[in-house]
Formats: sequence, structure tokens, C-alpha cells
Amino acid sequence: MKRSMRWICTTAGAAGVLTLVAGCGATTGGHTVSAGGSGASNVDHAAGTNHVVASRAQAVTLTETGSSLLYPLFTDQWIQAYKSVDPSVTIEASSTGSGTGISQAVAGTVNIGASDAYMADQQVSQNQGMLNIPLAISAQQVMYNLPGVHGHLHLTGNLLAKIYQGKIQYWDDPAISAANPGLHLPHLAITPVTRSDGSGDTFLFTQFLSDTNPTWKNGPGYGTSVNWPPVHSEVAANGNQGVVTTLAGTKGAIGYVGISWLDNAVAKGLGYAALQNKAGNFVLPTETNIQAAADAATDIPKDERISLIDEPGQNSYPIINFEYAIVNQQQRGATGTALKHFLEWAIDPQGGNAAKYMTPVHFLPLPSKVEPLSQAQIQQIGG
Amino acid sequence: MQKASSVAKTIDRAFHVAAGIAASSPVVFLAGIVTIVVIQAMPSIRFNGWHFLTSLTWNIGNVYGGLEHEHGVTAASGASFGSRVFIVGTLASSVIALLMAVPVSLLTAVVLAYRTRGALRAILSTLVELLAGIPSVVIGLWGMTVLTPWISTQLGPLLSRVGGVIPYLRGPVGTGMGLLASGCVLAVMTIPIITATTRDLLLQVPTLYREGGIGLGMTDWEVVRHICFPCIREGFIGAVALGFGRAMGETMAVLMVSGNAVNLLPQNLYSPTSTMAAFVADQLDSALTDASKMAVHALSELALLLMVLTVATNLAARRLVSLGRRRQWRTGVDAR
Repeated sequence: MKRSMRWICTTAGAAGVLTLVAGCGATTGGHTVSAGGSGASNVDHAAGTNHVVASRAQAVTLTETGSSLLYPLFTDQWIQAYKSVDPSVTIEASSTGSGTGISQAVAGTVNIGASDAYMADQQVSQNQGMLNIPLAISAQQVMYNLPGVHGHLHLTGNLLAKIYQGKIQYWDDPAISAANPGLHLPHLAITPVTRSDGSGDTFLFTQFLSDTNPTWKNGPGYGTSVNWPPVHSEVAANGNQGVVTTLAGTKGAIGYVGISWLDNAVAKGLGYAALQNKAGNFVLPTETNIQAAADAATDIPKDERISLIDEPGQNSYPIINFEYAIVNQQQRGATGTALKHFLEWAIDPQGGNAAKYMTPVHFLPLPSKVEPLSQAQIQQIGG
Repeated sequence: MQKASSVAKTIDRAFHVAAGIAASSPVVFLAGIVTIVVIQAMPSIRFNGWHFLTSLTWNIGNVYGGLEHEHGVTAASGASFGSRVFIVGTLASSVIALLMAVPVSLLTAVVLAYRTRGALRAILSTLVELLAGIPSVVIGLWGMTVLTPWISTQLGPLLSRVGGVIPYLRGPVGTGMGLLASGCVLAVMTIPIITATTRDLLLQVPTLYREGGIGLGMTDWEVVRHICFPCIREGFIGAVALGFGRAMGETMAVLMVSGNAVNLLPQNLYSPTSTMAAFVADQLDSALTDASKMAVHALSELALLLMVLTVATNLAARRLVSLGRRRQWRTGVDAR
């Protein structure tokens, strides 16, 4: 009896200690990450009085998380390449989703939050000092599974909005035929496919629909996940991978897919549409057309939070966007300097924006007039 | 008897503390998780009220627009959160899974308990338990690449023709992603749980009873139906409830094959649907972009609801299984 009492007491005491530890861990959690960085730099200061005081000589780890579209650029290209630029900087990247990227950058648990979408006004005003720095240009194509239909279907944002509203239900609808004269379309039900997870792709696609269809603008609007109109034939799939698999397995399906998945999806037998741009031309997501759209972008604000959807120009492809690094301008000493140097390198046309890193993931470098804006934002990073 | 050295005493004290910490951690973690989920869900409970259980629409609002204030809490403009689609999806897919899993599990358990012995029983039992160990993402992948195309092109059209009289079996079949596919992958995951528990229950039925039945000239079916099953009834219901709890909480595989419908209820057996667990996993990333944080609170409320449902089911299941065991033990004593 006495023995079991003692056990219970020890257990209860230990439980108390554990709760206390867990509680402290939760409150100080935010600091531990940055403390690691400054701790490392202190050691360097103490031991390295005879070093040339160059911040690049100090070992720093930069962390990145967020967009699954940017992840391949970091993990397959930039991380490896930057090792030879500055061996003292280690970059750790992970693919979690744009929303996570933004929120972790705000919380200070990562140095770089990668996002396909810029931060909303509300978020920016609530979190002063967060920078939205474009790193590259990406695009998105509309893909479909229509066996026997060759060439590229012509589609407009308005038609797409009507499909996703359930107003157009069959491929041989007169409205689709009117945009595709001479093309024989089958009497096949349309299965609209959306992204079930929060996604920068949904953000871009719904922005395109909002820009081209007034009802859509007032209805679901745009966002990384939206209140899709109820359509019985519609399915939602997880990730670009899931959308491509669903499209490939469903005749009559249509969906939106990030440009880096284009080769993979075409190999599975999917077609992709020529979309109508602002000038009224039907254009394909070729490198030339994406570049044309990027070059046509004007009035880019200083904070670079802007939609690049439906830019003017004869050849401009309508669905393109900036890929963002979400960064807190308050950074501690060595980490801040390392972060600054890395981002400068990343947007440099001879550095991270070089074609050898961009082409494998189908991204395009920042237009020459945008680079100085990103450069100016990078200069705001400091202590 | 040797006097304990100070070293031994220190070690013993360390052992006590370490064991105490380890033993208390499950309680602390459980309490911590419940507390955090409840705290996180509170703003959503205030914002949505009972509407949360009845409304069909889940709309995180215009995150890129303004904010609105209601009941003392803030949300993105136009936000409204209703979980009925997910409650219905969760319950419906789990029930469909059980409709498939229960007969299969019961018959498998009978074969394992009474018709096999020695090495064969060991091998078959291990195989059933291995099925439980397959990661759900693997089953989801199978569901996505094999099962849903098959439902879409073969099973669905067949069922909709054969069962034309039953409204829920009628088409359109669509992509194959939906309730039926979710039910199938969940059945694969619940079968090992129900089978293993039922086999153990059946093995505890007193041999004397079964021998008596056989002696009276009962067929195998009659022995199982009239002698074994009444003995294990409560325990079996508990086993089914355990499977039900597992099915409700499953996330990944369902996410991959359910079609993840939002804002509308399933129309037939093939309709796309969403479950609570899958929806939380899916939507958290977007919810994090909501400056008002209400989207995260609403997902927490959904998680809280799911937790209450699964914990209640599991508790009931455990109670029934242990009732069943005790009853057998008693009858076993009586038989002697």
C-alpha cells in the first residue's frame, strides 16, 4: 500500500515537472531557432579574432519551407549550386505548401517562406516588416482529357468560369464549339477537377476566372482555397500530382496544373489549352509567351504584391505569376547578412536566375525591370 | 541481506523519476492535446454556434478582402463554416466500409478459429495482421490507380444497371472517386482489426458447447449461428465499433480517393464526398493564410468534433469487448 502510494506520488510529481517543461517549451519555442543562429555567431566572434571579419566566413543555416512548386528549384538546383558560392551557408528546404510558408515566416520559425501567392493586405498590416520578394516567374496551364481531340483546344476565362459554375456541362456545348470552329467535340460530360488542398495554383486559376467573369468575381472570388460552386460532377484532388492522375484517369475531365508538371502530364496523354489573352488571341504557355506577359507587366508596386494575370500584349500568356520568398526584414546579425547574400544571388541573372537552374523546373527569370525592385526589398533586410 | 550502496540508491531514485515521467506522459499529452484543441476551437464555436453542425457551406471568406466582426470574434468577410457535408461523408463512408468488412471479417475469423490449426493458422493470422500494417497511403495509392478507374468503368455501371430499383445505386458513376471508393479502402483497413478481435473471441467459446452442438447433429453453419455467435455477440459488436472508430479517423487513403467534394451532399453511392479527417488535413495550409485565424479555429472545431466522435466510439467499443470477454468467461465456468 505504502509502496504504491510512493509510486503515485513520484508519478504525479513527474507529471507536474513534465507539464512545466512542456509549457516552457511552448512559450520559448519561437526563440530557440533564432537563438541557435546567434549562438553560432557568438562562438565565431570569440574564437575568430584573427579572422577577417567577413560575415560569409561564419557558418549559418538558412531554413526554407512552403510552396511545393518552388521546392524543386531549391532542393534540386539552388541548394547544391549555392554550396560553391558560399560554403559556409547551409540551406535546408522543405515542401509544405504556400500557406505554411507564409505563416512560418511570420512566426519566425523559418528564414524564407516560399509562396506562389503574395500575402493579403490584412496579413501585411497585421505583421509589419514582412517582405514579399519575387524570385522567379511561373505559369499555369489548363489541361484536359479528350481522346481523339488533336491540337490545342481554345478556351477563355469566361468559358472556364461557366464550366466550374456548372453552367456548361458537356464538351459539345455551343459556347465551346463557337471558340473552336472546325473542331469536332464529343458529347461527353465535363468533369471539372479542382485542388482539394490549399494551393497557389488555385489562387492563380481563380484570379483568372475573377478577371474574366464578373459573376465569379462576386461569387467565389479568389484565394488559395475558395468556396467552389456546388457542381455534382466536380472532384477535387490533392496536389498537382493528384490532379494529373485524376485527369489522366477520367475521360472528359478538365483541370489546372502548374507549369513544372507540363511534360509529365502530356506524357500521360493530356492536352493543354490555348487560352484567350486580353488582346483576344489564343496563346499557349510557351517560354516566349510567358516572357512576353512578364515583360508586359507595368506599375509593379514597391512591395511587389501584384497579380500578373491577364497582362496586355498580343502574345502574352494570361496565367503567370511571381514565385515569392516571404521574408521578415528583422533578422539577427549573421543570419540576416547570409540571407541577404543568398537572395541577391538567387535573383541575379548570372546567379540563381540563370537559365541552367530555371529551365529544368520550367520557371523564367525575373524581367530586368523587376529585378531592381526585388533588389531594393532585399536591402531592407537587416537587424 | 546487503545494505544498498549510495550508488544503488541514486540509480533507484533516477529510475523512479524516469519511470514516473514516462508513465505520466500519455496522460499529460492527452490532456494537453484536448486543452489545445478546445482553446483553438472556442472562437469558432462562438462565431458559428449550432449553425456549424447544420450548414452545408464551408467558406473561409475573402481572405484577400476585409474582415468582419460577429459575436465578439473576427473572421474574413463572407466567412461561414458548416460541417454537415463532412459529418455525413465521414459517417456514410464508414458505414459503407463496415457493410463490406463485417461479413468478410466474421467469416475469416470463423475459418481462422475453427477450420485451421497449427502452422496454417499462424501463417493466415499473421497475414491478416500484416494487412493492418500496410501504410494507409499505400492503400490510397492502390485505390487511386486501380480501384477508382475500375469503379468508374466496370463496377459502377454494373451496379447502376443491376440495382436500378435502389435509388442510391443509380448513376451517374463519374470518376469513380467518391463514397464507394472511400468505403472500399476503409474496408481494407478495418477488416484486419475486426477479424483479429473476432478470432480471439471465437477461440474463447468453450469447446464443450461446440462439441455439444456437433453431437446433436448441427451443421457447421448452425454451430456458428446458434452456439458461437450468441456467445460472442457483445464482443463482436465491440470489434465492429473498433473498426468504425478506425474508419472515421482515417485520413490519407480517403483523401486520395474520396473526390473531396465540398458544399454539397452525396447524391448516390458514387458521389464525391469529404470526411472530417481528410478535410482538416487538406485545408490547414489555406487556413493559415487567413489573417483573422478564424479558418484555423473552424478546422479545430471540426477536429474537436471528430475527436469526440472517435473517442466515444472507442470507449463504447472497449466496454462492449470487455463485457463480451467477461460473459464468455462466466459461461465457460458454468459449462464446467
